[in-house]
Amino acid sequence: MTARNSPRPGEARAQGPTVADTLHRDSRSVPAPLLEQRYEFLGDEDLPVGRYISRAFFQREIERLWPNAWQWACREEHVPDTGDSYVYDIGPYSVLVARMEDGSVKAFLNVCTHRGTRLIDAEGCTYTQGITCPFHGWSWHLDGSVRNIPGQWDFPHTAGDSHRLAQVRCERWGGFIFINLNPEAQPLQHYLGVMTEHFEQFPLERRRIRAHVQKILPANWKTAQEAFMEAYHNFETHDSPHGANTQYDIFSDYVSRFIHNIGNYSTAALSDYPGDKWRKPPMTEREILAGLSMEDCALGAGETARQVAAQVLREQFREQLGVDLEHCSDSLMLDSIEYHLFPNMFFFPGIMIPMAYRFRPNGDDIDSCIFDVLVLEPLPDGAEHPEPPDPTQLGIEQSYTDAPELGWLAPVYDEDTGNLDLLTRGLKTSRKGITLGNYQARIRRVHLTLDRFMAQGKPFR
Amino acid sequence: MSDNEFTRVASVAEIPRGKTHCITHNDIEILLCHTGEGIFAVDNLCTHAAARMSEGKLKGCRLLCPLHGAAFDVRDGAVLSRPAREPLRHYPVKVEGDDIFIAPEPSAAA
Repeated sequence: MTARNSPRPGEARAQGPTVADTLHRDSRSVPAPLLEQRYEFLGDEDLPVGRYISRAFFQREIERLWPNAWQWACREEHVPDTGDSYVYDIGPYSVLVARMEDGSVKAFLNVCTHRGTRLIDAEGCTYTQGITCPFHGWSWHLDGSVRNIPGQWDFPHTAGDSHRLAQVRCERWGGFIFINLNPEAQPLQHYLGVMTEHFEQFPLERRRIRAHVQKILPANWKTAQEAFMEAYHNFETHDSPHGANTQYDIFSDYVSRFIHNIGNYSTAALSDYPGDKWRKPPMTEREILAGLSMEDCALGAGETARQVAAQVLREQFREQLGVDLEHCSDSLMLDSIEYHLFPNMFFFPGIMIPMAYRFRPNGDDIDSCIFDVLVLEPLPDGAEHPEPPDPTQLGIEQSYTDAPELGWLAPVYDEDTGNLDLLTRGLKTSRKGITLGNYQARIRRVHLTLDRFMAQGKPFR
Repeated sequence: MSDNEFTRVASVAEIPRGKTHCITHNDIEILLCHTGEGIFAVDNLCTHAAARMSEGKLKGCRLLCPLHGAAFDVRDGAVLSRPAREPLRHYPVKVEGDDIFIAPEPSAAA
């Protein structure tokens, strides 16, 4: 145990250089948010497996969590013009997001106020000049006000606004459109907290959706998202040395982050990992470059793989997309920087690793979930958003390589999700709870906040 | 059917990519849809409630009905979303230079 490894719970860290040490050696100035460190010890008790496998727990999430949580429904570019709409489903609930004539966005429950018919069937982009129910033909203007009730003579009790479409809270941030089913929910800003300030330096509204892949995963939505909340699995799951010295931050009850460096690693951080791989001998800078598929790139005397890789990417982005990233830090160019927003959303400000994720229940199935991956590429200054791609939908048995638009990410996602079926089945035969590392506190943070929603969340009806 | 039965109905220049253009051919309204995958031709009336699809919107290869939100794949007319159940008829299209030709009869149902 080194001096840094204090016996107080949560204060121990991997040996070797920290993320901050690495960032200080980078070739560009580092944005202040990436130098922040905010860890909090949140306990070390096991989490009960019932949270993942109990029908009652799942049902309570449907009643107390999802109707009270802000969630991104779509991107602004999914609804660019008046009448463009997007249907977003969460568990049994469905929301219609629509672009108004004045450019604002409104959201409604996707349900007829007459007999309760779902108005627009399929999730995803749609378009309407006014919404018409396919059952009896009741119709509404785009702003949710009633346009026509056929046979109005029989409905004298529907005067005024009594049968407007039910409006849903809707706010916008970073090019995303968020909804909240609770009319009395606190503003989105309350939940975003530090993300508002941090992402001023990483404007996600200036990104385009290069790829959108939507896959069914064979696991509870929490099991699945938690496979993405720590980098501890990198060694075994991805056969990679990166991630052992990851930095974990807890910014609030709703926001956490990890940063793990790409293009270098610490052999000391791997000192008690099995075998000698990557330690004896450590990878050379040239081998690290080769690992980034940049084996043909020149490595000058004294240059690090990380510096070279970041510069190669800057030049690629300038040539291929016309995007100027000359002042973008090596860390932002390369690293896996992952913000999590309660309960189920991830935002990566990085350039090589530029995703947004969303995990949600797959209907009423406890043991599967829908995982959305958006790959968000920088937009050149002044360029308008192109039409976003339709999501590529993959079933449980399919490989991410069936979505070639994901490129090098596809086999990585196959590895990330390859253990989920084992987890789902294993949890059902486990008598003990799951154990978390003290420093990897992000998962525990979600569960603590989830407990509060489960206790205090306003039921949907 | 021989190639010479195709009829010129529009020019590519009239239909920017991502847009649609309605023509009348043999007294039938047909919607030409210019997608990233090429130009496709389908019936202009929704098979659900006969709304004009030309008043809806093309998104990628999905054609969206303005009335009840039914969605069709313009490549083969297939229904992608209720309330429609029947596919749109679709017509073979040829593009030669700037000229768009369509066949007189719809393609056989998939």
